[in-house]
Amino acid sequence: MGSAVTGIGHSIVRMASFTGKELRELIRRPGVVLSLILGPFLVMFLFGLGYSGYRAPFATEIVVPADAGFSRTPEDYAELAPGRLDVRNVSEDLAGAEQRLRDNEIDLLVVVPANAAGELREGRQTTIRVEWNQVDPVYDQLATLATSILVSSLNAEIIERATAAGLSIAESELGPAVENIPPEVIARPTTAETANVAPTAPDVLNFFGPAVFALVIQHLAVTLTALSMVRERISGQMDRFRVAPVSSMELLVGKYVAYAVLSLAVSAIVGVLLVGVLGVPLLGSIPVFVGIVMLLTFASLGFGLLISLVADSERQAVQLSMLMLLASVFFSGFVLPVTDFAEWMQYIAYALPVTHGIATLQQLMLRGVVMDTWMLGVLLGIGVVLYAISLLRLRRVIRTAD
Amino acid sequence: MHFDPRMSATSTEPIISARDVSRAFDGRLVVDGLSFDVAPGTILGVVGPSGSGKTTTVRMLTGTLGRNQGEIRVLGEDPRRFSRRTRGRIAYMPQLFSLYEDLSAQENVGFVAALYGIGPFKRRPLIRRALEVVELHDARHRLARDLSGGMQRRLELACALVHSPDVLFVDEPTAGIDPVLRKAIWDELRVLRDEGRTLLVTTQYVAEAEYCDSVAMIVDGKLVALDTPERLRKAVFGGEVIEVNAQRAVDPEMLTNVPGVLNVRQTAPRQLMVTTADAGTVGPVIIEALRRAGVAVAGLEEHQPTFDEVFTGLVEQQRGLRDADDAATEVTPNG
Repeated sequence: MGSAVTGIGHSIVRMASFTGKELRELIRRPGVVLSLILGPFLVMFLFGLGYSGYRAPFATEIVVPADAGFSRTPEDYAELAPGRLDVRNVSEDLAGAEQRLRDNEIDLLVVVPANAAGELREGRQTTIRVEWNQVDPVYDQLATLATSILVSSLNAEIIERATAAGLSIAESELGPAVENIPPEVIARPTTAETANVAPTAPDVLNFFGPAVFALVIQHLAVTLTALSMVRERISGQMDRFRVAPVSSMELLVGKYVAYAVLSLAVSAIVGVLLVGVLGVPLLGSIPVFVGIVMLLTFASLGFGLLISLVADSERQAVQLSMLMLLASVFFSGFVLPVTDFAEWMQYIAYALPVTHGIATLQQLMLRGVVMDTWMLGVLLGIGVVLYAISLLRLRRVIRTAD
Repeated sequence: MHFDPRMSATSTEPIISARDVSRAFDGRLVVDGLSFDVAPGTILGVVGPSGSGKTTTVRMLTGTLGRNQGEIRVLGEDPRRFSRRTRGRIAYMPQLFSLYEDLSAQENVGFVAALYGIGPFKRRPLIRRALEVVELHDARHRLARDLSGGMQRRLELACALVHSPDVLFVDEPTAGIDPVLRKAIWDELRVLRDEGRTLLVTTQYVAEAEYCDSVAMIVDGKLVALDTPERLRKAVFGGEVIEVNAQRAVDPEMLTNVPGVLNVRQTAPRQLMVTTADAGTVGPVIIEALRRAGVAVAGLEEHQPTFDEVFTGLVEQQRGLRDADDAATEVTPNG
């Protein structure tokens, strides 16, 4: 019994030695600490300062054929898709406009059909041609949306003109009472009243603040752990550990504790700056916030250890960490929603700790509650699985080399 | 003269024992059939040029590297399966500086002490003592990266000492260090030996064999010699060597028939190197023989060959034996 207690005591001393060593090493590099704490805050600060959420309207040229009967004044088209179109020119020069689109002088080309109202009176549908020249998928989607709004508005305009001209199309549907109905009501029989019921108003900084925060926590844990273990291996320190009565579990736990402490400290400072200085709301409870950070750190440390155990140089460890950061930016829902990806790709996205970190932190901070609680379980699962793999791998490494 | 590489330096139960140990990397034999014992409370110096297999040997003995063949016992256990208790009695000082540059000297020693399970309160006096032994206590607050190369080696040594090990494996403690500091480090190692610890120390400086209780000379992974420094000297030169300086030119033939003289070499017109069975008794006989030949002796003293000479002699002997073996192998098939 006594020897068991002594053994546990020695074990704790060994684990604490790694924790203390890691933290001391970090503190001795003030530049690293400063960039760890201030870096994420500055990134978010600049993001909030520099990103307005305003997307410039598409530079648009409208081609109106001679007999179309539409206005040739750009201002008349400004309200067709409010805020989305910047109508630079209205002309009849289709070939010139197409060339300007190819040369990227304009973003959007709208070709109004000739005699649209007349075609409508004949019961035929006409086509509004809209073209754009974008390789950015986000802009591609926005252009599609703008087109939809534009076409809807143009349709309404055409019907309104036709109705105002005394067309009897609506009369056949609505009977003699139609003459009492204003043409714009026939053209737009319904209007929408919109409301956003989310507990916080949509705001770019509020939305991306927790995401950047989660990404920083993951990157911090992955990079520092990966580098730390690779350094131990390259410096020959592993031989010292092999000779000393240290187990792989003591080594791993010591490192985990060090980086958990560091992550919590960085999270606390960045969190205070995020909420206190940048004004990002924290509607949920602080203990749950701490819990998410700890789970995210735990899972991310596993990835860092895995990288450190496969990388054979510091350079490779950094490369793999950057690769993970890149994958996280693209697949975690940071830029594009995870559901936009193919189903098989979503499995990869959900294997990244930050995917769950972003979602749960956004929910907790902006909605006050974690709705996808299963994500916390996944974070724990990723952490446990990676810890077990790292432990097995480290046991092989720390054992007598072959 | 042929050395028996299995010969133990002392007859005491060995703390470290290696038998026919070999290790190859990518099919190339780096350590080839090493056998030796290290008695308790002694220093075995493993001496050999760079790349001769010294570090590989130490790594096999500490259990950080496996072996392809042979038996090793350290404190009665196979290094590949050391118990925690045995690990606690062993220390290893690696060849390269592997401590943490961002930690102070004191923190580095403290970290290693903690690896051995020594708690914070018990640790403090041990750290102080270890740093005092290597004369680094005054520099205890300096970061390891700010220490000179010599101080870093001593810091490594302090880390190896902090848990009071019974057995120390010290890999090239003096590599790249100036002669004065090398002597100081060897003085420290000998103090540890005097405290009853057993040390296995590798070095590429042949002259440092002088500081050891027994010496294993390794060339190309093979054990060339294993004995005490004194006996190695005698063995290489076939006896004790006397340097004779005469007042005029002297002929070596004058001494060839003198009883007790085994070999005579002329190193200068007035100087002879005489190998004898016993320098103490043969010296006066040599003086008398030369006097009778009409040559007055200006000086006579026992010559202490340097270990560079010893090492060169051993390598030449080894090559001679190998050439002879090769020749025999070539002749045998035909007849």
